[in-house]
Amino acid sequence: MATMPEEVSPSISRARAPKPAHVPDDRVYEIDMYQLDGIEEGYHEAWKRVQTPGIPDLVWTPFTGGHWIATNGDTVREIYSDPSRFSSGVIFLPKEAGEKYDMVPTRMDPPEHTPYRKTLDKGLNLGRMRTVETKVREVAIDLIESFVGAGRCEFSGEYANIFPVRVFMALADLPMADAPMLGRFAKMMTRPEGNTPEEMAAALDAGNRGLIDYVDPIIRQRRGGDSDDLISIMINAEINGEPIAHEKALGLIALLLLAGLDTVVNFLSFMMIHLARNPALVAELREDNLKLMRSAEEMFRRFPVVSEARMVAKDQEYRGLQLKRGDMILLPTALHGLDEAENPDPWRVNLERRGMSHSTFGGGPHRCAGMHLARMEVIVTLEEWLKRIPEFSLAEGARPVYHSGTVAAVDDVPLVWPTASSPQ
Amino acid sequence: MTTIKVTTRNGDTRDLQAQEGFSVMEAIRDAGIEEVLALCGGCLSCATCHVYVDPAFTDVLPPLSDDENELLDSSSHRNECSRLSCQLVVSDALKGLAVTVAPED
Repeated sequence: MATMPEEVSPSISRARAPKPAHVPDDRVYEIDMYQLDGIEEGYHEAWKRVQTPGIPDLVWTPFTGGHWIATNGDTVREIYSDPSRFSSGVIFLPKEAGEKYDMVPTRMDPPEHTPYRKTLDKGLNLGRMRTVETKVREVAIDLIESFVGAGRCEFSGEYANIFPVRVFMALADLPMADAPMLGRFAKMMTRPEGNTPEEMAAALDAGNRGLIDYVDPIIRQRRGGDSDDLISIMINAEINGEPIAHEKALGLIALLLLAGLDTVVNFLSFMMIHLARNPALVAELREDNLKLMRSAEEMFRRFPVVSEARMVAKDQEYRGLQLKRGDMILLPTALHGLDEAENPDPWRVNLERRGMSHSTFGGGPHRCAGMHLARMEVIVTLEEWLKRIPEFSLAEGARPVYHSGTVAAVDDVPLVWPTASSPQ
Repeated sequence: MTTIKVTTRNGDTRDLQAQEGFSVMEAIRDAGIEEVLALCGGCLSCATCHVYVDPAFTDVLPPLSDDENELLDSSSHRNECSRLSCQLVVSDALKGLAVTVAPED
């Protein structure tokens, strides 16, 4: 990549960790999860550049505090599924930042994790999601109606960054005015600023504290109440027969904010960029509503946005390597859904795909508790969008800007469509 | 081909021809029984292919995985015969398998 003389190449200013003795020289690859090579062409494209033929299952990078990276679907899946070998003790990188992360129960391993997870499920299960579908649909319709007549919108700013946030704030009964601030805190955690692990830890800590301090008075106020908002349901649940401890409730509700405000937001923009470039696929979705509903999973496979980590639980031999307790392993979910060995012709959104395989919702005991909400948000968006905007494309000269991190992001997604006054 | 019996929510029973190696969910879906939404296509992430399996077949079914167990737990209609039909792979052992579509969550 050409670099202007006055710019400092990011990889020069980024801190590097010394290679530990147990990492073989031939496993060292320079991969910066926050500044991927080739990110200007796309987030998934940039991760996929790592998955070259013959690359070992695990490689080690000196960036972001020094950590392993799983490079294919089989390895990502196996590490997610085995908490006895790969702990959730720390899940965000750099490790110094991940140690500041106070969410519950994402850093717990079973069996401690289990009752907290059941509490999350109670608020987010399929049956409960069905009861809120009408509300979710209203939010989508309001937003789309606000710009449909204009024949254009900047999708990430005018829809993707607003819709899941509004839905979430409604479900949790929180004022919409607080959403931008909470979104900033979430971003400080998933794409923390800084060039050294210490700087990134400080940024993550500030975001983490912001979320925890925000939910503290809300939890105190709703404790013991009988409202059926998401927060009341969860904090009034019992953990092993006892009321949930306040400290744990803080982490649990802060996790809901973090997960609800930064994931579907980014996924939707990736999906819509692809649809804007593939009118035949859009036509396929328009023709058959059941097909549209079933397409969500293939979209999840094709556009994973999360790369979190697991910590090696004990010294062990794994896939021909000596791993040390405390080593961190990044699991880029993009390298599962887009792995040809798991999903032939992986770049293609194929609505007839059989036996698809992905880790977009993670895996094992921590698999995303919000997956039913996420799926509903995607289906409702597609349904209500295509009813009002059956054909659309990227505006001429559009140049989406991609960002990588624990959660990937994309900005500048100008979409255009024909209207009565401007048929195009 | 193996024949399986599917009872839908309104009580109608249909015999389906299911292909070995495919899942019971795929057989139901491909027969156009749309009340089985089967949204995730067998990725074990949606619980919308929930069926009750005739107890006579319990012994020949594959064991429940943790993921399947958790998803079923999230349904208000789980009983001791509950399975996700995407996890039941059609084979000779399942000849004559009878399943009933569970109520929608």
